[in-house]
Amino acid sequence: MAYVATRGGERAIEQSERLYRAAMGDITEQRVDEVKAAMPYLIDRVMGEASLYDEDLAALALAQTGGELFEAVLALRAWRTTQPRLQVAAPIAQDQLFTHRRISAAFKDIPGGQVLGPTLDYSHRILATDVLNGATYAPEKVEAADKPSSAYQPSVAAWQAENDLLDLPVPDDTKPEDIPDVTREPLLFPSKRAHTLQSLARSETGGALALGYAAMRGYGQAHPTVNELRLAEAEIAVTHPNGTTFSAGRVKVSQAEVVSKKGEKLELGFAATLGWNEVKCISAATLDLNSKGAEKGSATEEEFYLYHTEGVESSGFCIHFKLPHYVTFQSSLDAMRDAKAKKSPKPEPAQ
Amino acid sequence: MSLSTLTKDWEPMSYGFLDPSAKREIRRKMLKAVAVPGCQMPYASREVPMARGWGTGGLQVSLTLINPETTVKVIDQGADDSVNAASIRRFLARVSGAPTTLDTLDADLIQSRHRIPEEKLREDQVLVLQVPNPEPLRPVQPNMSIARQMHADADYGRMWLQLYEQIVRSGRVMQGASYPSMVNGRHVMTPSPIPRWDVPKLHMAKHLTILSAGREKRIHAVPPFTRVEPLVFDDVPYKVEEHGDLTCVRSGAKGFFMNEIPQGDGSSTYEISDSEFGVKSIKQTEGTDTIFGETWYKNGEMS
Repeated sequence: MAYVATRGGERAIEQSERLYRAAMGDITEQRVDEVKAAMPYLIDRVMGEASLYDEDLAALALAQTGGELFEAVLALRAWRTTQPRLQVAAPIAQDQLFTHRRISAAFKDIPGGQVLGPTLDYSHRILATDVLNGATYAPEKVEAADKPSSAYQPSVAAWQAENDLLDLPVPDDTKPEDIPDVTREPLLFPSKRAHTLQSLARSETGGALALGYAAMRGYGQAHPTVNELRLAEAEIAVTHPNGTTFSAGRVKVSQAEVVSKKGEKLELGFAATLGWNEVKCISAATLDLNSKGAEKGSATEEEFYLYHTEGVESSGFCIHFKLPHYVTFQSSLDAMRDAKAKKSPKPEPAQ
Repeated sequence: MSLSTLTKDWEPMSYGFLDPSAKREIRRKMLKAVAVPGCQMPYASREVPMARGWGTGGLQVSLTLINPETTVKVIDQGADDSVNAASIRRFLARVSGAPTTLDTLDADLIQSRHRIPEEKLREDQVLVLQVPNPEPLRPVQPNMSIARQMHADADYGRMWLQLYEQIVRSGRVMQGASYPSMVNGRHVMTPSPIPRWDVPKLHMAKHLTILSAGREKRIHAVPPFTRVEPLVFDDVPYKVEEHGDLTCVRSGAKGFFMNEIPQGDGSSTYEISDSEFGVKSIKQTEGTDTIFGETWYKNGEMS
């Protein structure tokens, strides 16, 4: 009758997992809190790639995987996919975002001003090695500006549209619950706009950068100008079953608009993601900008970059090559040997 | 109305891990795949707690088909005790409570990576094959949307040309595993990277085969009693691996697909790839009462 099989393989995999986890020791609530407090940008990156906004779960995933990013994102995605969807939040426009940072490279100054916000852009990248000798590195206190800038800022593209420099995308009035969801439907090409933006939002940062950089460096048709880069918090407005709309809290979001001259107008590339991740947004927006009319099979073509920046799929496939492949290999050997035997010189036929 | 009346009590996961909406989608796509044999059906392919490329497509199908009475067998490269087979079997049992087995004859559901067991499968058994790349046209057309159009047009000319070129260059078709095969006279499919030895087992088989690629998000199927014909030219017959005369050094079984084991002296020995069939053969030699099923191959020849 049926029974649970235990053989060498089961013991081996159990022990190898123990060996991995032994290096990290006990995982406690305190450790999760420390990860969360110490590495907000890592948490953001992981939440974006997992497309799941929960700082505690992201910190737990990082603690549990010892910081193996691909593993952490996979654990979060696997958790996310089984969760029910209770509500779809109301769409939110750029000027409704609670904005911490908004800069434009296209103009010296923009309506609302250049808001630098938090960034390491102009820091000197010098390690505080004294910390290793017992000193505490205490960041200097932030001094508030005399005149605080408004938390709500219009988009730069809106100003350009008003001045007939750019055509804004036609507003999409699809009902929130009817928006195509790439996590619940297959991605097919040419892809739906929602699927493209969702896939870029959860793309792997390094992958988006690699292909985006290729486009920036010269393999793309368009040179991007950062029209606007924004780090903000978005209000999650949901509707209670009794009809009341209320805020379920705010999530950190980042977004980039990049533009390029096309004829007499500017062409717009856009990307946004959960959490603050500037490199990913600029890269992804560059890919979006370049994808229109891109040649099939080129790195800036939608099918190419959406498939190859999917971190869970690409990393999984990469590590699957560690699995035994001896059956396939045996099958190839058989064909090779037979072909070789056929090629070996045959004795001259008798005259 | 309150939240507690609208929701169920919290549970860490659904039965069989996947939530009902995911299972419903997979059931629908499996039905479509059965209705159009060999045609790839796109599906959402949820993430599961295993890495992509490690059997997540097969796993989603198994998780959808499984119930507490389903006896499950999992094999990887023919072996039940391969580490990943052990991992998948343990996961399936853990989230479903289903009993597991190593014996092909006892299994209701067999999830396999790249082998079909040597004992014939019956009408009441389902074979789930893990698929790394569902697209047989990939070597001639890497772009999936173009390849999809080619299937729609039954445009397989480049496929045939590739096989022809191999014969011209190497004197034979060089395809090792995943031999492209015409299903029901209409769709060319990849049978997944099973060896050529296993492809004839799919032709007019009594069992249902579901092939699922999790990473690539495609399901295709070979329903029972469906033609599966490897692409061959009339004058160059299909050739399986030359394993018909090999004998397993451990079990003495002869005439089945083998693993080649290199030896220190430069020679090779062979052991049977279907590990449980090997175990049965050893048990029989030792005098234990053992029940063998009928095999597809007899004396090293497909019967």
